[in-house]
Amino acid sequence: MKKILFIEDEESLQKTMRDSLERSGYSMVSAMDGENGILLAKNENPDLILLDLILPKKDGFEVLKALKSDSRTDGIPVIVLTNLEGSGDIEKVLSLGARTYLVKSNYSLDDVLSKIKNIFESKEMR
Amino acid sequence: MAEETKSNWQDIFNLKKVCSRYRVDIWQCPQVLFLVMGFIIIGAILVTYELTKTYQEPEIAALIVLAVSAILFVIGQIIVTSFERIAESSLAKSEFVSIMSHQLRSPMSSIKWQLNMLISEDLKSNSATEKLFGFLEGIYDQNEKMIRCVSDLLEVNRIEDKDIALKPEFFSISALTEKVIDEYKKDAAMANVNISSFFQPDVPLSYADQDRIKKVIEHLLDNAIRYSLSGGEVNISIEKRSNNIIWKITDQGAGIPKEDKKRVFEKFFRSQNAARYKSSGSGIGLFIAKSIIKLSGGAINFASDENKGSTFWFSLPIKKIQ
Repeated sequence: MKKILFIEDEESLQKTMRDSLERSGYSMVSAMDGENGILLAKNENPDLILLDLILPKKDGFEVLKALKSDSRTDGIPVIVLTNLEGSGDIEKVLSLGARTYLVKSNYSLDDVLSKIKNIFESKEMR
Repeated sequence: MAEETKSNWQDIFNLKKVCSRYRVDIWQCPQVLFLVMGFIIIGAILVTYELTKTYQEPEIAALIVLAVSAILFVIGQIIVTSFERIAESSLAKSEFVSIMSHQLRSPMSSIKWQLNMLISEDLKSNSATEKLFGFLEGIYDQNEKMIRCVSDLLEVNRIEDKDIALKPEFFSISALTEKVIDEYKKDAAMANVNISSFFQPDVPLSYADQDRIKKVIEHLLDNAIRYSLSGGEVNISIEKRSNNIIWKITDQGAGIPKEDKKRVFEKFFRSQNAARYKSSGSGIGLFIAKSIIKLSGGAINFASDENKGSTFWFSLPIKKIQ
């Protein structure tokens, strides 16, 4: 079973994402802040990470930097899931190595799930 | 409305109208300054021509040209600064649009996802009822967030239009503060922040708009928790000092960088400190707080060290009960 780490400080988003992922046959671990997110990424060895940008303790940019500079976590695909939409934010996130950038309010849970599925499928084809 | 927004070519000559649109004084308005510059140049040419005709001394002409250039240089500088000011206000506006849309988008996406679940969930079974209510509660909370956000925006508008009707009454600011602290217990626990308080026992009743002072306290406490580090301490104190009640909150959080201190109470201003991406603030709480305290006859200020923490305090004048 694929394991997904969701780093997000809004509880209601975690709850809905967990239900929807579990229903699609994935398991989910979650962190409420950036620091804990980095820790779980190292210890839980997830197959994919969903990352918010505005996060307590360490923000999403710092988390992404930490993940990409550690050999244990730099191979894990990261989807940034945020409500920020500045071109500067998008460019920064992509240059830091995120796979893709989704604006939460523009994507339904099913949309996010199909993005996740796509990433797993393209990984298997390689 | 259409007539108002459509600009007629005659408006080019109605400088007062043009300048009021930029919200700058007439003597800081680029259009006026360019016109003044034009007149000075034409006048200087005529004067130079006349003077050199009668005196026939090149030094006089050179001196006049020098003086005129100096004047034009000064006016040019004023024009540049006024353009800067106009550009800044447009920058503030776009910052505002981006902050507010983000503030509204967060609860909206949460509602969207919860509705996604509600629509897809099989709610006929008994076991789903608990889940259903969980989602409904979540949607309710998010909706409250949006209502608060829009109310704050409207309050900013009322402040700017000077259209606030205060409803002053006597109340205990200590009891009110106690109530707000209670409301923020959950947030504080989530952020692992401890709130302590010291209320001087013989503080007299305050006379102000209680609902609005509650808003001020909420904004200040919300900020203190929001910018605290995990394990941090927030302390609130209330004391009587001569004819004022002093309300004070201290945190050990991110603090405010020196260069941002002047702008802390400006609306839609958010500091570029280390915590900018660690929490989502609208940048209007302190603007509202300052306006309400000023309208209530008090004062508000702060002291802050970056990465060490901030102390915000406000005063309310004591009014004798008649």
